[in-house]
Amino acid sequence: MGKVVYSPRYRTYDFGPEHPFSPIRIDMLLDLMESFGRPLSFTEPSPADKRDLLSVHDEGYVALVGALSDGLEPPEAAGFGLGTADNPTFSGMDLAARWLVGGTLHAARLISAESETKVLQLGGGLHHAQRARASGFCLYNDIAVAVRHLTEAGLWVAYLDIDVHHGDGVQQIFYEDEHVLTLSLHESGRYLFPGTGETRELGNGMGRGLKMNLPLEPFTDGESYLEVFDKVVPRALDWFKPDVLVVQAGADAHYEDPLADLMLTTHTYEKLYRRIMELADRFAGGRLLVTLGGGYSLISAPRVWAILCHVFLGLPDIPRELPAAWLDRWADKLGEDSLRTLHDASAAFEPVPASLQAAQRNRHLADRFLDVMSPFWF
Amino acid sequence: MLVRDIMNRQVRIIPPDMSLSSAYGIMQSHSIRHLPVVDEGRLLGVVTDRDLRLATSALSPVPFPADARVQDVMATPPRTADPMDPVEEAARTMRELKIGCLPVLDDDGGLVGIVTGIDLLDALVRLTGVDKPSGRIEVRLPDRPGELARLTSFLSHRNVNIHSILSYPEGPDTVTSVLRVGTIEIRPVADALRKADFEVLWPPPKPWAR
Repeated sequence: MGKVVYSPRYRTYDFGPEHPFSPIRIDMLLDLMESFGRPLSFTEPSPADKRDLLSVHDEGYVALVGALSDGLEPPEAAGFGLGTADNPTFSGMDLAARWLVGGTLHAARLISAESETKVLQLGGGLHHAQRARASGFCLYNDIAVAVRHLTEAGLWVAYLDIDVHHGDGVQQIFYEDEHVLTLSLHESGRYLFPGTGETRELGNGMGRGLKMNLPLEPFTDGESYLEVFDKVVPRALDWFKPDVLVVQAGADAHYEDPLADLMLTTHTYEKLYRRIMELADRFAGGRLLVTLGGGYSLISAPRVWAILCHVFLGLPDIPRELPAAWLDRWADKLGEDSLRTLHDASAAFEPVPASLQAAQRNRHLADRFLDVMSPFWF
Repeated sequence: MLVRDIMNRQVRIIPPDMSLSSAYGIMQSHSIRHLPVVDEGRLLGVVTDRDLRLATSALSPVPFPADARVQDVMATPPRTADPMDPVEEAARTMRELKIGCLPVLDDDGGLVGIVTGIDLLDALVRLTGVDKPSGRIEVRLPDRPGELARLTSFLSHRNVNIHSILSYPEGPDTVTSVLRVGTIEIRPVADALRKADFEVLWPPPKPWAR
């Protein structure tokens, strides 16, 4: 039975009504669990303090976010990815982001203090934030702060990133760290943001061979995704033998996501979550920290994460129908739609010819990846 | 991007009376394939590892001995580049002559650098590469004045930064423009571009989008 970390203050991380990274996604999720008669109980964190942020971020950058947060307009902001279309500035954004960081850090502390083994942070997953740069909706890197705490507590950390975008910020911050394995499955950066995450990015120095990337083809379907996952992830974890598994569980590889091109369904996600739970038990002493992340379809992200909550908390069965009251309350967000069930319909979309080709290329990718890794693993 | 931006400035040179085996040794120990031959500050020619191997090959009717002088096998007069030449011009010259390098001379005829095929590959990687978080958009534009400006001002109005842009002719009346733009919201941008009558090649529309 895992623990859930959440604070209503997470809602303040809000870039405005037109912005995809909307707190409404979590509102819909919480309401959905409640409508199922399974309301989530959670422990509340406190916001991260400056010292926590400085474990992974530059002091000047943190000061710049603080200044923008207070309504100042330093001219150099755009050079740090701030005040752009993706990362508009808003009053109070420093504290808002520190709430999310505080939540993920709280989850890490519960694990390092051995008071919990499995913790789900209902937010965060700001994996694009760099040492001194905001990127892709991410101001501060909550995951990196939490991972830093875990390594300082003497734990070896495996970070698994299933967001559709490459986990570039986390990879970069720990690029030379020998105690942190990062493994990101994502849509290839040939086209998709942020453009990195090639197999050849392996880490540097003592971290060489510990940074792993599986850039999947656009239109990869669930079957191909799980094939690559099964071929690579258990082997990597078996080799590294982490003390804790940290997972960024973005839901934007779903076929309905408006920002990307992978074609996972809710069924894929359920299988994926069950595998992750099992991997944590098999290879990480049962210790697991899961954050949310991307996932920008209001129709799919809350359903995908409701399934995550069910699997994570070990709730006995996954409901079939969506509660009518929930559908009703969120009708304007869901649009006019025939949505009735928690899971996607079994043939949710017409098969795409490109998926067959993608599966073949992904197979080659996984083989090539294992070739690249073999000098490190054997 | 100019030749001076990509050229190697630390050039290893050899005198014309150096032996073939010594020249070969220099190439081996420094992992290079081209050596400009310079006498009293004046560039006389270029000798490549291929020149050496062909000249000394047992298959050659009259193979040169290992102690022959490089001036007897070097390519002369050498084709050269100017530091202010655009890289594409250097690339075209090398492609047409099927040669692997161009020594770079300043206005006084002094050797100031060398450009090789590898440097041009590096330039291509830089031109098309990703050094900041960005996504890729491909748009086919009519080949006429103002079209690229229409595209870039569209992006500018959305506060989207363009990190790199590559345009090349495709067919008689169109050019394909490949942009790396500093936003995670590639699909919404592409949808908006389509609404504004741009032909977006990537990302494609999702056939199953609700």
